[in-house]
Amino acid sequence: MSALLKLSPGLRAALITVLTGALCLALEPVAPWLVKWPADWTLPATEWVGAALEWLLGGIKPLARWFSGLLGYPMAWANAALTQTPWPLIIGITTAIGWYLGGLAMAALGFVGLSFVLTSGYWQESMNTLSLVAVSVPLALIIGGAIGILANEAPRIKPAVQGVLDVMQTVPTFAYLTPLLLLFGFGPVVGLIASAIYAAPPMARNVLLGLERVESEIKEAAVMSGGTRAQQLFLVEIPSASLQIMVGVNQCLMAALSMVIIAAVIGGNNDIGWEVLLQMRKANFGPALLAGLVIVVFAIVIDRMSGALATERKRYDPRVAYGILALAILAALLAARFLPGPPSWSLFDGAAQWVDDGLGAFNTEHGAKLTDFKNNTMFFAFLPLRIGLDDAVLPFTWGFQWTNAMSLWFFGVAGALAGVLWATGRPVAGLMLLIAAGVIETGVANLPWPFLFVALGALGWVSAGRNLAVMVVVLLSTILLSGLWEPAMLSLYLSGISVFACAIVGGLLGVLCAISPLAWRFIRPVCDMLQTIPLFVFLIPVLMFFQIGEFSAFLAICLYAIVPMIRYTRHGLANTPGDLVEAAVASGATPMQILRDVRAPYAAPTILLGLNQTILYAFAMLVIAALIGTTGLGQSVFLAIGQADVGLGISAGAAMAILALIADRLVQGLAEERRRALGL
Amino acid sequence: MSERPAIRVEGLWQVFGANATAALAAAKAQGGSRGDIAGRLLDQGLIPAVRDATFDVAPGELFVIMGLSGSGKSTLIRGISRLVEPTAGHVDIEGEDVLAASRKRMTELRRTRMGMVFQHFGLFPHMTVLDNVAFPLKVGGMGRKARHEKVMPIIEMVGLKGREAAFPRELSGGQRQRVGIARSLAGDCSVWFLDEPFSALDPLIRRQLQDEFLEIRQRLNTTIVFITHDITEALKLADRIAIMRDGVIVQIGTPTEIVLNPVDSYVREFSKDVAKGRHARVGSVMRSDAGDVGPDDPGLRSDMTLEAALASCMSLYEPVPVRDGDGKVVGMVHPGDLAKALQVEET
Repeated sequence: MSALLKLSPGLRAALITVLTGALCLALEPVAPWLVKWPADWTLPATEWVGAALEWLLGGIKPLARWFSGLLGYPMAWANAALTQTPWPLIIGITTAIGWYLGGLAMAALGFVGLSFVLTSGYWQESMNTLSLVAVSVPLALIIGGAIGILANEAPRIKPAVQGVLDVMQTVPTFAYLTPLLLLFGFGPVVGLIASAIYAAPPMARNVLLGLERVESEIKEAAVMSGGTRAQQLFLVEIPSASLQIMVGVNQCLMAALSMVIIAAVIGGNNDIGWEVLLQMRKANFGPALLAGLVIVVFAIVIDRMSGALATERKRYDPRVAYGILALAILAALLAARFLPGPPSWSLFDGAAQWVDDGLGAFNTEHGAKLTDFKNNTMFFAFLPLRIGLDDAVLPFTWGFQWTNAMSLWFFGVAGALAGVLWATGRPVAGLMLLIAAGVIETGVANLPWPFLFVALGALGWVSAGRNLAVMVVVLLSTILLSGLWEPAMLSLYLSGISVFACAIVGGLLGVLCAISPLAWRFIRPVCDMLQTIPLFVFLIPVLMFFQIGEFSAFLAICLYAIVPMIRYTRHGLANTPGDLVEAAVASGATPMQILRDVRAPYAAPTILLGLNQTILYAFAMLVIAALIGTTGLGQSVFLAIGQADVGLGISAGAAMAILALIADRLVQGLAEERRRALGL
Repeated sequence: MSERPAIRVEGLWQVFGANATAALAAAKAQGGSRGDIAGRLLDQGLIPAVRDATFDVAPGELFVIMGLSGSGKSTLIRGISRLVEPTAGHVDIEGEDVLAASRKRMTELRRTRMGMVFQHFGLFPHMTVLDNVAFPLKVGGMGRKARHEKVMPIIEMVGLKGREAAFPRELSGGQRQRVGIARSLAGDCSVWFLDEPFSALDPLIRRQLQDEFLEIRQRLNTTIVFITHDITEALKLADRIAIMRDGVIVQIGTPTEIVLNPVDSYVREFSKDVAKGRHARVGSVMRSDAGDVGPDDPGLRSDMTLEAALASCMSLYEPVPVRDGDGKVVGMVHPGDLAKALQVEET
């Protein structure tokens, strides 16, 4: 024991983890509960949560229904306003706002974007979606702003508020829907409220951040000028924080739009998200893609225009904006006389049909190859990771049966390699290899629970000390006890391989972009685009080629989650302080040596933060991806919506949030540890 | 200083950390010097940023607080103006116990009696020069037209006429601080706090603003507390200087006293680079018994700088008489003493 204490913390943690794993495997025959938590040992937590919530929600249900009825009015007004306003006027107003905020380029973006929507034949559906956003965003802005200001004014509740905001960010979007369904019933109001709840935290966060960041001397100057607290806040601090608050408005808008579209799965509103879903279900990928593009256009227009609010750039001549408006009114009058209404326009149906046909032809021609590719990836990479080599290697897939002797050989080779690594002075690497071998042999879904407890707890201990280790173990045990362990492991496996793929591919792309500005010039707009698109739309192209299933879900998650990895890696590597690089050059280092020995270590904390974001993104997408067939917690959440099972919905959502939270804290702990080691 | 001081600070402590008030009271109850008390607080992980500061500022006096960064001078001025709540002690401003004032009264005091200038200007980025300067009047409830009329002469005085409509980001550093000065004067303050107002500026601009500041001071006759880390600035501006180290005021004195009679090596270290001849006066080294003077009278006066005095009696070896402004002999000085006083730092 005393010898164990002398080892470095990392080595000690790895050693304990390996021993736990080996012990669990060895004891499996006599104590199967060590590997698989017996079902009758779990608490019916899901039912408890369900019953408690139903009781609680039942109590406030009349109030909620009343509120929902109340919200029906502004919604109807917004809808009437948007659908009754002649389309030339809406396009004109958007173009005019675009001009005022960002000049010619932004005006053109607004004009072309909305013209595309008009001619795509989805005008009506789009306006239905927008009317939801138009009501939910002000709601979210007011709620979020109030929370932010309140937290700023009462420092005592600030940590609590920040904690809640953190958790809300990790709870998957769909999990909000089940309790809301119970409270408000099916219908568009649920989507509206869900989107307001989802969009309020970014606003609150940015308001709080902005107020905190106002220079202390500006605050003091307001005090010394003799302003009352209210005068200080509203005349000085909030205006000074306006740029950061506008960032909040931008994020709030994007979140609301994203959620409104996701909420379409509960139906009840003939909006654009529903259209995408409908077309996807009918396997009409051309129209689905077209409707998806409409969503993307909205996302981009809203994002760029509200983003312009958050920069200090000058505004453009409002007289031009008035001119555009006048033209729009004229066009509206003319249109009312001569042109048909928007719904009959569908210029791109031909293109959609062509995409559909082309896709059909492509899939008949190359479908076999795609399927082979998918199956091979599944059989040789995904399945072993999921259920382990001993279950995945079958004559049907690999051409032979995995035997116990092979397991012994496998462990023997891994052990020998680990021994070599240990002998050459890299004991931690050797133990990591052993752990990896164990995981591949057993499969993530079949990992013994004590092993996972110890491994993650030890990681927590190494990265941030005892408190984190305790938190990790406590949180994991709630999942174990509630009986959601199995779906949780499946989710862990799917997000795990996605994050792994993102880390490798995204990391390499990030390095490439750091080395070559040219590559960054091409990849950057793609990254911008991927970050603007509402999650839902990612499913369309993936489904087009790989049908429903885990592989498609994997691809959709990767598409979305890879962006932060690329961005942070590039940012970290490219922004090494100039004097460090100059010192390395002066010492005679080659560019590769600088990258490896100077830039990479310096960028490590930043890259870890990118990984952290990637993990959170992957979890966010996991639930959405459940729409196209994954197992695990995402599926549970989705099932719960269908059955209006609040207990399952909330518990599965919470389990997912717990996994995301653990991953988040572990990686942040590591990043913090690295930063401290670098003295940053 | 027979009249009532404009500012009286007594036993002021500023301790940062959890439950600072209770901890300070407990540490004080155990007795001992202020060093002992501070030591006990430090042991508990608290930070005593200002330790038992006591001083008076006379009406119309320009009182400079000088110290290195981290010496607690900025915290001290924030305690006096109550931007932070002092942990213990008394602050009287024009006879009023500031620390006992209610929030409402404090707001009123700030509108009518206090003005403050900040190191990094603290200008409101979303307001024009005019609106920045008029802000104290605005929060005081003065109408738009009236306040704009009232601040125009102030803007003119600080030399910003014609830039009223500019935003802070469009101004140079020196111009920004002029706005800060104008704003602090808008409320007709009688007590003026300046927290390192010129430290963020280029040396040339700094000197220019120092001169203008002295001019403004001549016109206004306010009581001034001025913070700086620059000994040259302190000696140039101050009527009296308080030198701070580790939260303690180690010496209070006129510029001459500080330069010629530093109480310890810390203060001496400050004045080392100062050309003493330019800041110390003959009065500080003369003997008041005008008995045994030599035959020569180079015409020394007690308010002459040492440098000038030495220059005029360079070739003399006998004591010479010193006269006051009216030409009356008030004492004598030996030329050797003049030379010696200039070389204090070498010892």
